[in-house]
Amino acid sequence: MAEVVLETHNLTKEFIRRKGLSSPRNPFERTLFAAVKNINLKVQSGEIFGLLGPNGAGKTTLTKMLCTLILPSSGSATVCGYDLARQQGKVKSKIALISSEERSFYWRLTGRQNLDFFAALHGLSKEVANQRIEEVLEVVDMTAAADRRFQEYSTGMKQRMGLARGLLADPELFFMDEPTKGLDPIATWQLHEFIRNKLAAAGKTVIVATHHLAEAEQICDRVGIMYGGEMRTSGPVKDLTGDASLADFFRDLVEQTMVESTET
Amino acid sequence: MLTLRKPLAFLKKDFLMEVSYRFSFVLQFASIFFSVVMFYFVAKLVGDAPSVQSSLSEYGGNYFSFVLIGIAFSNFLSVGLGSFSTNIRSEQMIGTLEAMLVTPTRLSNIVLSSSQWSFAFTSLRVGVYLLIGGLFFGVSFSGAAILPALLALILTVVAFSSLGIISASFIMVFKRGDPIAFALSTSSTLLGGVYYPISILPDWLQGLSYLFPITYSLRAIRLSLLQGAGFSEVGGDLVSLVIFSLITLPISLVCFRYAVSRAKRDGSLAYY
Repeated sequence: MAEVVLETHNLTKEFIRRKGLSSPRNPFERTLFAAVKNINLKVQSGEIFGLLGPNGAGKTTLTKMLCTLILPSSGSATVCGYDLARQQGKVKSKIALISSEERSFYWRLTGRQNLDFFAALHGLSKEVANQRIEEVLEVVDMTAAADRRFQEYSTGMKQRMGLARGLLADPELFFMDEPTKGLDPIATWQLHEFIRNKLAAAGKTVIVATHHLAEAEQICDRVGIMYGGEMRTSGPVKDLTGDASLADFFRDLVEQTMVESTET
Repeated sequence: MLTLRKPLAFLKKDFLMEVSYRFSFVLQFASIFFSVVMFYFVAKLVGDAPSVQSSLSEYGGNYFSFVLIGIAFSNFLSVGLGSFSTNIRSEQMIGTLEAMLVTPTRLSNIVLSSSQWSFAFTSLRVGVYLLIGGLFFGVSFSGAAILPALLALILTVVAFSSLGIISASFIMVFKRGDPIAFALSTSSTLLGGVYYPISILPDWLQGLSYLFPITYSLRAIRLSLLQGAGFSEVGGDLVSLVIFSLITLPISLVCFRYAVSRAKRDGSLAYY
């Protein structure tokens, strides 16, 4: 049985919402908003796991918690064998976060200079970093453009640099948050191929947060569907949907959930 | 060398970013020259007055030399107070802070290393101030005691940086409107002896001057560079700076830890 790379127990995140000036009578009144509620999840080594849900379902919040960027309100998790709350440094050494956020690079620096900087933050020595940078640039086919400024790259090239940065420290677990946002169909297809043939084939685990159901159907071994901060269901796509498409299954699930919410 | 790798990486990154804006980079040195010229002519206007020379007798009586050191080294005040919060806010706005936080590098290292370039560049600017003053406007540093001045400078950086870290903690939680840097910067400039000796202030304001580390810092540096004062003459000022640092440094670390924890709980680390 494959090793469990990620396991969560009732992982929850509540944010405080203050009414402020929108409620002049009670500006200091606070309410708790549960963005993520009691998530129990297991992901095995080598899996491509899809985290699905509409906007506001809690996918990004869950992803950020698992990347140590947000502290959980309650619950626990282990990532690559390390406790999320107590061993954050060790967790970070085993993961990579790849988002569609173009702004996470220094646009005035070249691709190579950016990678060199982040390689240092990962603790790679100069010699190892230089070698690794060449390797990852080749993997994402960015060697020729590496010495151009990041601001000159197309959207697809910027996304490939994001992948290159994620590969630098050779992590075990990749978190991808809406990785194909803004990409054209060819770039999207290339990214899917990369996830399947380079990452999964190498035994890496990938968790993809997306609301593109077709994408999840194409590349994911299992999916988990979030709505209203909760994990409504999870499992292999075919086991969940049967003969229906994932889109139909998802729509039915969301409608059912909305009806249940109205009744309660 | 691995332990220096991260700080050097920040330094290299910030240097490359700075020089990528070539015109701005050159313009900064031009502004130094114009600033020095301006104060040279102000000194020509007022410097020969007996009252001025009397007030500055401790420092050799020359107003231009006095104010040159004030405007040069007060740059460290601005950088110390503002660089930590400015750099964090800059990384938040550029969008790179989250990418850095996902690496195994601790936030404290990120904050401290992000300010290295600011201090390094400020040291270069100060050097240019003193070079222009010495080469073109007759300021003499021939009898300067370098080691006491250097120690005073190091202690100054530590003292201001502690305040700067408290300021950065404020920015991390509230995102804008840091009252600490503004209040300290304006008060220090007004009362700390940057443009005029504190002896000309009313007695009650002079008392307030001694609450600010820049007062001790500028006095020690001026006495060392202009009068060749040694450790024994500036020892009192150096001890004051040490005491100030011993009080503010632990407070700054506590504030910073709370701010990081609060921002992580709020999920607002990368927001601005």
